[in-house]
Amino acid sequence: MLNFKTAASAALIAVLSASPTLAADDDLTALRTEVEKMRQAYEQRINQLEAKLNQLEGNQAQVGATANTPPATSRRRIADNRFNPSIGMILNGQFSQYSQGESEIAGFAVSHEGERGEEGFGIGHSEISLSANVDDKFFASSTVAIVEHEGTTETELEEAYIQTLPGAGLPIGMSVKAGRAFWTLGYLNEHHSHADDFADRPLPYRVFMNHAYNDDGLQVSYLLPTDIYAEIGGGVYRGDDFPYGGNNGSGTGAWSAYARIGGDVGDNQSWRAGAYVLSGEAETSRLSNEDSVGFTGDSDLQIIDLRYIWAPTGNARDREVIVQAEYFQREEDGVYTVFDELSGDVLATSTVNGKSDDGWYLQSVYKFAPQWRVGARYSQLMSDATPAPLVGTGLDAQGHDPEVLSLMVDWTNSEFSRLRLQFNREDLSGGETDDQAVLQYVMSIGAHGAHKY
Amino acid sequence: MRKIFTTIVAGLLFAVPFTAMAQVNILACEPEWAALAEEIGGPKISAFSATHARQDPHHIRARPSLIAKARRADLIICSGAGLEVGWLPILLQKSGPQVQPNALGHVTASHYVPLLDTGAGVDRSMGDVHPEGNPHIHLNPHHILPIAAQITDRLAQLDSANADYYQNRYQDFAQRWQQALAQWEAKAAPLKGTQVVVHHKSFSYLIDWLQLRAIASLEPKPGIPPTSSHLESLLQQLKATPAKLILRTPYEPEAASLWLSSKTNIPALVLPYTIGGVAEAGDLFALYDATLALLLENANVE
Repeated sequence: MLNFKTAASAALIAVLSASPTLAADDDLTALRTEVEKMRQAYEQRINQLEAKLNQLEGNQAQVGATANTPPATSRRRIADNRFNPSIGMILNGQFSQYSQGESEIAGFAVSHEGERGEEGFGIGHSEISLSANVDDKFFASSTVAIVEHEGTTETELEEAYIQTLPGAGLPIGMSVKAGRAFWTLGYLNEHHSHADDFADRPLPYRVFMNHAYNDDGLQVSYLLPTDIYAEIGGGVYRGDDFPYGGNNGSGTGAWSAYARIGGDVGDNQSWRAGAYVLSGEAETSRLSNEDSVGFTGDSDLQIIDLRYIWAPTGNARDREVIVQAEYFQREEDGVYTVFDELSGDVLATSTVNGKSDDGWYLQSVYKFAPQWRVGARYSQLMSDATPAPLVGTGLDAQGHDPEVLSLMVDWTNSEFSRLRLQFNREDLSGGETDDQAVLQYVMSIGAHGAHKY
Repeated sequence: MRKIFTTIVAGLLFAVPFTAMAQVNILACEPEWAALAEEIGGPKISAFSATHARQDPHHIRARPSLIAKARRADLIICSGAGLEVGWLPILLQKSGPQVQPNALGHVTASHYVPLLDTGAGVDRSMGDVHPEGNPHIHLNPHHILPIAAQITDRLAQLDSANADYYQNRYQDFAQRWQQALAQWEAKAAPLKGTQVVVHHKSFSYLIDWLQLRAIASLEPKPGIPPTSSHLESLLQQLKATPAKLILRTPYEPEAASLWLSSKTNIPALVLPYTIGGVAEAGDLFALYDATLALLLENANVE
């Protein structure tokens, strides 16, 4: 303020004294007096303004102390953009090396997001998300993923949903979500893959859910008013996303239900466990394995999950141990058809009744320094006996249970950037072990939502 | 398996307890606000702190237990200014409209005090900065009363039958606090101008109040853990302009402090930061008593 005053006076004097007329001494004195007067008036005015400012500053704390709403000056906002949604982008890239040219999960129908990623450099999955409160009753969010698939860039609408806000008038603890979303099902399904602790999803997610289940539909959740955390929910869906497909548009093709409980053990440990059911029908045909396998019929999935977190020093920023496990059981009644990849001719057809396949994984991640974590994961699938007509086709498990062991180390510079190195040893079809190395980055710019448990 | 599942769901549905609303249920994001609520509410409230002194309040998991607590809370008290941005929204998602931000049952403490470090424009290359300002507001004791007044006001509205009770307790607390404040300021006068090194900006308000001078920070940028090159440059800096103390909170890792202390012979000091940070800091009065005692004892000032 003082500098400004001096500079302003100096500028005034400079402008006036630089006048080309060579004034007489009298004129000069008069001029000086005039400038001095102006300067004094100016200073007085500034002092008044300063006093007023101080007074206002003093008042502000008091005003704030009596009103429930924050003072308008506490947030930096640009009026025109005030209602713009939060915008965030996730950039994800990787470099992968595999020891085997081909990767097939024997005995299972696998769709393309469940397949092994592409070798070499690749930007696996970049996401752009927009979200905002619509009004006092609804929240809306959408996430578009840009993915490379076999040489073409595809956009996928991963999520586009609306959700009721706590002020929507529903009972406390109840919320309704509608549209397309990563539905609450097991642990990983409702999380975007950039938040995962490993570069790829474990086998049961790849095989039973084609990475994740994000059908179109509606889900209701209700948090019970109990001391212990307990939540129940369920939903109805179109039945178009894997493990379903080809919904002919009549009614709903699938439904789900779940229950979760959780709590703390002492000050530094917490846990959550859940049980989930997803049941539905692939009405016309669910295509998988590069469109060479079709399935029509009922597919039911039952999942249990457990997550446990321990912060040995109390401060999770510093050190943390996370243990996570999920068990999947799938039962299918329907007709499997195997086609010739080139001609499309039917090679084999088999009616299955109560075909029961299982899968599970167990993983643990240890943060040993604020920016460093190591992790290990084992995942396995257990296939039911291969029906006679399918022996010799891609759906023939040959008595082998696919398994993968993964080890990873990652470095998290800030909440917004992470670099990861991961090794996988995949034994998916018996006999051929595929050793994989993946170097990955995950970065986030813009708005970054709070993390779920 | 289907049967087990159905049983669990049915069991949960009927397990809903019907407890009488005997006390006002308060969920405080940090221990200092739980302690302040107890000063005003006494036995008429039940306050639970989502975090404890050994946890970094920036980095808390939205644990299931906290979601359940928020769902049942009548009043939520948090620091705000971005401190809880990584976890509080998840808790609020499943809680009632009466405890949402700007509702009667939600006190954002930083709205009622002047904030330090308010950045006009920030960029994430500057580290984990809060554009709203520094959120560690409770370490200036002048901030406690406006926030206490706010809590009193909310309690009086939420539990109007006991409005006078809360007002009386506030009057009593305010009087004791003013007295303690005068004593603390007299006692702390010699600390004025003391040069200190901090780990993070956790003590900015304490430093501002006591007119200490923070000359360096162990973190190269806010939220970025200390690096060896940064510590090496601090070592050089401290050789030229020595500090009296290296300060950290109970939740900040000790390694960097201890290393710098061993190289410079400047004492590395853990200040309680919040309730329970040291054994003596059992309430807000004791928090300041213990903090000043530790500073005076170790700063080597007359």
